[in-house]
Amino acid sequence: MLFKVFKKTSYTRKLYFLLIPYTLGVLLLVIFPGILSFTLAFFRYDALSSPLWVGNLNFILAYTDELFLLSVQNSISLVLLPVPIRVLGAFLMARLMQKKGPFLNWLRASIFLPSIIPAPAYALAWLWILNPLFGPVNIILHALRLALPGWFANPNWAKPALIFMSLWQIGEGFLISLAALSDMPEELEDAAYIDGASSGKMFWLITLPIMFPMLLLLSFRDIILSLQESLTTILLTTNGGPYYSTYILPLFIYEQGFDLLSFGIASAAMWSLYILSGLIIFVLYSLFGKEGISITDETFLS
Amino acid sequence: MKLSFRKLSLRFILRIFFAALFLIPLVWIMMASLRPQGTPLSASFGFTDGISLQNFSRMWNLVPMGKYTWNSLLVVGLALPLTLITSSWAGFSISQLSLRSQRRWVLLSLAVLMVPSIALWSSRFILYKALGWHNTIWALIAPAWMGTSPFYILMFYRAFKRIPSEIYASARLDGAGVLTIWWQIALPLVRPTAIGVGILSFIVYWGDFISPLLYLQSEEKYTLAIALQLLEQMGRSDWSLLMSAALYMSAIPIILFLFVQPFLNTSD
Repeated sequence: MLFKVFKKTSYTRKLYFLLIPYTLGVLLLVIFPGILSFTLAFFRYDALSSPLWVGNLNFILAYTDELFLLSVQNSISLVLLPVPIRVLGAFLMARLMQKKGPFLNWLRASIFLPSIIPAPAYALAWLWILNPLFGPVNIILHALRLALPGWFANPNWAKPALIFMSLWQIGEGFLISLAALSDMPEELEDAAYIDGASSGKMFWLITLPIMFPMLLLLSFRDIILSLQESLTTILLTTNGGPYYSTYILPLFIYEQGFDLLSFGIASAAMWSLYILSGLIIFVLYSLFGKEGISITDETFLS
Repeated sequence: MKLSFRKLSLRFILRIFFAALFLIPLVWIMMASLRPQGTPLSASFGFTDGISLQNFSRMWNLVPMGKYTWNSLLVVGLALPLTLITSSWAGFSISQLSLRSQRRWVLLSLAVLMVPSIALWSSRFILYKALGWHNTIWALIAPAWMGTSPFYILMFYRAFKRIPSEIYASARLDGAGVLTIWWQIALPLVRPTAIGVGILSFIVYWGDFISPLLYLQSEEKYTLAIALQLLEQMGRSDWSLLMSAALYMSAIPIILFLFVQPFLNTSD
């Protein structure tokens, strides 16, 4: 019966059929649960007694909390610096490892490997690698007679340490860039090569512009990931310290919700996290849109 | 395309350099896993305290690693094909809509992507309880119904969009339906992206330690990520044991990656 209906409908209608699992899944698993947690911002709720309407009190309580403002600042600085390095680094690595060569499969695999290591294991390994006294990094710096950073033990060095360890996990961006580069028709580069363009010129004038929408998408993904998922790493390494130097917004939410059971304040802070990521992405989206670059771009082929 | 030998070798040296640089964390985990039990953090690089494979047998004795490995494989085995189907369907479909609808779906996907996962932890718990998925494997693979992450839909969308629309048009003239075009024409053309999404979602479900922690109660349903947590709770300072478990847990995705990554290339 259902199959017969499917057979009779037009092609465009059928296209919408393919969107059903995604739409239903998003509604059920993200939008409904999301609405549920986001409305808690207007209630006093501790998971023990029933919710009590308090208007915008939770927002006032959150915004007057010094730790909240600090966590927003920390979150922003842990996004602005690493994201461009990570996205560009992933792309350049993919470019370096694109063409055939000896041991290429193994060399590509080694770039990707750090991203496969489970988060708890990865965090523990870096706690050791960046150990101020016994870690290999500081032993090498000592041998070179350079200043020895305190890394996770020093409030000025904890953020650079987190950024440093995130630079090894660019496997996702690397893989996507690699796929995008090999999806690109080879004739295009060959044509430019025959026309006498140098490989450097070719990269800047042809390859990079074609890759811009993909790089933009990667940046959005990385901004959102750095804003949210960094929570796991921080819980396993610094736990917000030393002296709140790595105390980020998701950690504030986590502590309010799961330690202090103030789900209302946690939810108010979630609003700010959502608005913050939306704001950063909106600014980028319109900035690049002005230059004619967007994710929905018609590419050279269509 | 011809390249001079000098240029080729310079590129090769650069490749070796970066590959070695990226291997550092894994090499460190390997070295640490081979240290005998109880040896403290050491300032020396070599194996001055000796090498020991004991940690691996200790790990199997402390937690039922075999069972947890099977559970993890089961989760991935169900979630991965489901993710590939739903995310490529959605991406395929969006890429052929009108430009205005495309923009709408992309913005919607970005908006969904921005929802902090921490916001969904407790409300999904309530949802799974209501659906009877709590403490079942379905709670772990539920996100696969929506393609795991809107990001994968956007990846497929970008890839499918590069296919010239004439190809679809001529297939339709030959009487091919939506599903035939998707499976026989479009999907083979975006193989690198499909393999990429496959690897990424493998890692997501393999390494996920939040969902089993929140939604599972019975110990016999635990996954490998939880095994690592259990070992950590037994003793956080037992570095060599933890690193052995970390190495074991990373080994399967690493082998998989080595196996499928030659297929990431369509050109050259």
